[in-house]
Amino acid sequence: MTLNRKVEPEFKVVEKIDIPIPVKVFLNNGIETYIIKSGSQDVIKIELSFNAGSWFQEQVLVASCANEMLMEGTRELTSKQISEKLDFYGAFIHTQPTKDFGNVSLYTLRKYLSETIVLLKDILINPAYEQNELNTFLKKRKQNFQVDLGKVSTIARREFNEQLFGSEHPYGKKAELSDYSNVNRSDVVEFHKAHYHPGNCRIIISGKVNDSDIELLNKTLGDTNWKSNDQSGFTTLKISPVQNQERIIIKDRASQSAIRLGKQVINKDHPDYFNLDIVNTILGGYFGSRLMKTIREEKGYTYGINSVLVSLKNACYFVVLTEVNADVTKNAVSDILFEIKKLRTEKVGIKELELVKNYMLGHLLRSFDGVFEISSNIRNLIDLNLDVDFYNRMIKAIKNITPNDIMDIANKYLHEDSLVKTIVGKC
Amino acid sequence: MVKFDKFSLDNGLKVIVHKDTTTTITSVNVLYNVGARDENSERTGFAHLFEHLMFEGSVNISSYDKALQLAGGENNAYTTNDLTNYYITLPKENLETAFWLESDRMLGLDFSEGKLAIQKNVVIEEFNQRYLNQPYGDVYLLLRPLVYKEHPYQWATIGKDISHIQNTNLQEVKDFFNKHYAPNNAILSVAGNVDLNEVKLLAEKWFGSIPERNVINRNLPKEPKQEKAKTLTVKRDVPYDAIYKAFHMSSRNSEDYYTCDLISDLLANGKSSRLYQNLIKDKKLFSEINAYITGSIDEGLFIVSGKLIHGVSMDDAEKAINLELDNISDLEISDYEMEKVKNKFESVYQFGQISVLNKASDLAFYELLGDANKINTEIKNYRNVSVENVKSVAENLFAKNNSSTLYYLSKK
Repeated sequence: MTLNRKVEPEFKVVEKIDIPIPVKVFLNNGIETYIIKSGSQDVIKIELSFNAGSWFQEQVLVASCANEMLMEGTRELTSKQISEKLDFYGAFIHTQPTKDFGNVSLYTLRKYLSETIVLLKDILINPAYEQNELNTFLKKRKQNFQVDLGKVSTIARREFNEQLFGSEHPYGKKAELSDYSNVNRSDVVEFHKAHYHPGNCRIIISGKVNDSDIELLNKTLGDTNWKSNDQSGFTTLKISPVQNQERIIIKDRASQSAIRLGKQVINKDHPDYFNLDIVNTILGGYFGSRLMKTIREEKGYTYGINSVLVSLKNACYFVVLTEVNADVTKNAVSDILFEIKKLRTEKVGIKELELVKNYMLGHLLRSFDGVFEISSNIRNLIDLNLDVDFYNRMIKAIKNITPNDIMDIANKYLHEDSLVKTIVGKC
Repeated sequence: MVKFDKFSLDNGLKVIVHKDTTTTITSVNVLYNVGARDENSERTGFAHLFEHLMFEGSVNISSYDKALQLAGGENNAYTTNDLTNYYITLPKENLETAFWLESDRMLGLDFSEGKLAIQKNVVIEEFNQRYLNQPYGDVYLLLRPLVYKEHPYQWATIGKDISHIQNTNLQEVKDFFNKHYAPNNAILSVAGNVDLNEVKLLAEKWFGSIPERNVINRNLPKEPKQEKAKTLTVKRDVPYDAIYKAFHMSSRNSEDYYTCDLISDLLANGKSSRLYQNLIKDKKLFSEINAYITGSIDEGLFIVSGKLIHGVSMDDAEKAINLELDNISDLEISDYEMEKVKNKFESVYQFGQISVLNKASDLAFYELLGDANKINTEIKNYRNVSVENVKSVAENLFAKNNSSTLYYLSKK
């Protein structure tokens, strides 16, 4: 029998995904803790997320200093001693400040958990925030910031966020160079005291975890001497209206322009969210998307173009992101707008929709492959107060959506005239 | 321990299979033994451009991506100076789709002028985005030709000059395919919850009939020993001065490779490393500093790079780096410090092997180096490095005559 290479071999569509339900417990001091036991390698990840993002800061940079400087020394150990120990055990502690959260994660070989978890506890509870460490840290950060400002993509991100949320809103406010000289140690210390405590965080422990590891977790991070405090404040929102719909910043020597087009949309807990996510995927959410096809594969304007839905705790926005050859900036913008308009004026073909559905289901399956991937997905849900059933609802929505639904959603949420535009480069 | 099976087809295609029952995803990896080092010096960047063309449709399949996405899969590829690697992940039930797709583009591509023209533009924009429109983006375009005079490692995978991409024609594309893309020049590896016999059947079914092609053994010029220190100074529109020092080191299969890698870890892996502690934290000379190896298969590079703190003189910064490099061979190295960098390597290696994607590509890479089982002996190779190895390798590595230094100065 000759081989028919023209026809795709039979394939199956993903029907369901086995999502492990995390076990929820409370440590002795009350920390809400989720346990995900899975994996074949002898490794463990412990993630803590504190409600301590830049949302809660009074002064720019304080939240990120409080988070990232946890590694820079405690009352007992210098930053060098902390790094020495972690490096010796081949462990990592990552600090990651976001707009909403101060995240701290420990990755460790299971055989060294008892040594490394003690370090984790020490940096969380007893950071020294020494003045000279703070100075070195800020100086380094300031230089890196200045390097970043040389990129059109960085400038575009900053301007876009400001246009979207307003210059005084915690999601829109930009750090400036001068802010790096205005961080007071006492503000950082106060911020830590107010936000880094058991009542203000959640833990996810994942990997090849057994009962003795949970006991160890309880003895250390669950220590009742580490107490909650109720001062966790809340910054009052200073909403300033969005200043202008379009902002163009000219960089004469740029060979590429950075383009950002977007708007605020519904949050992940809204019933239309899944359908909007599917519409976004069709537009620019995967390699075969319409934007990639037009702007990259047909026109050759760019190396890459995407659209994404960014979910923050208190807002969600849609954005198209790309860097295009500076000479074709205008054409690229109008092509992008045309593709967005097409979503609400022309019905998507059945074949394209089938492809997007299959792709999304496969992508979802893939995103649950590996215990640390599972824990990241679950953390995203917990952070936004969503339950694990979210993914089952998502699968259902993907399977059920029709071309008419897509046009409705595009009309409802993605009118091309409602978008904020940011262009950095030439225009 | 990564267990695997290995077999070959009559046309020379090597196949490696790793069974991992814990996953619902399968990874299929095809490595072609062709990279930027195989390019004509007037057509640099070609291997990478060709990688783009591999997604533009093959003899029987008009859209690679569409077909794969329909089966719930995703893919990507990368080109290095040594090799070109393509990988797919997809639900395990749809394994055959990956075999169908990969075998068809090994069989032949659907070349056209139009597709070539578009991908030239895309690559030129990649060049703009990654190398030109970024602060410090052109460093490796400057450093490689400074260091290498004979070996084709003197150009980056994106190419020496973008005109090389612009001037390419369709015949050259076809010739490149026939010369390098062949079953006898490729390694297929599959990792996931798969059955060896199933993979054997699929491999024979889809790849078995692809003819062996005439692949000419590469015969690359050997880089002569560098006789004296080299420097290059450039001024750019960047906020801070930076320094890049490159030293010729051993090839990937040499025992010294592991020693060099551990030296780079002693210097710069993690915040307890020497350069970080001494030059960033104590002396406050740099805002960023790094030491790393290129990991090339032929004789590669050991690179130390740093961005200076505003106001620090280049002379002071360079002297401080040189002192740290000399200290490796001149001063004692404690067993504790050696143990630390080895532990860290082992840990990173274990974390790296959680995903089937990494396991599939690592297996293919080690097979290219000569034996896929190297995946299981790497840790031992690092463990075997002694303090004496480190000192003697460092002494030659960091000899002044072996250095090439790029001073990348701020215009301000």
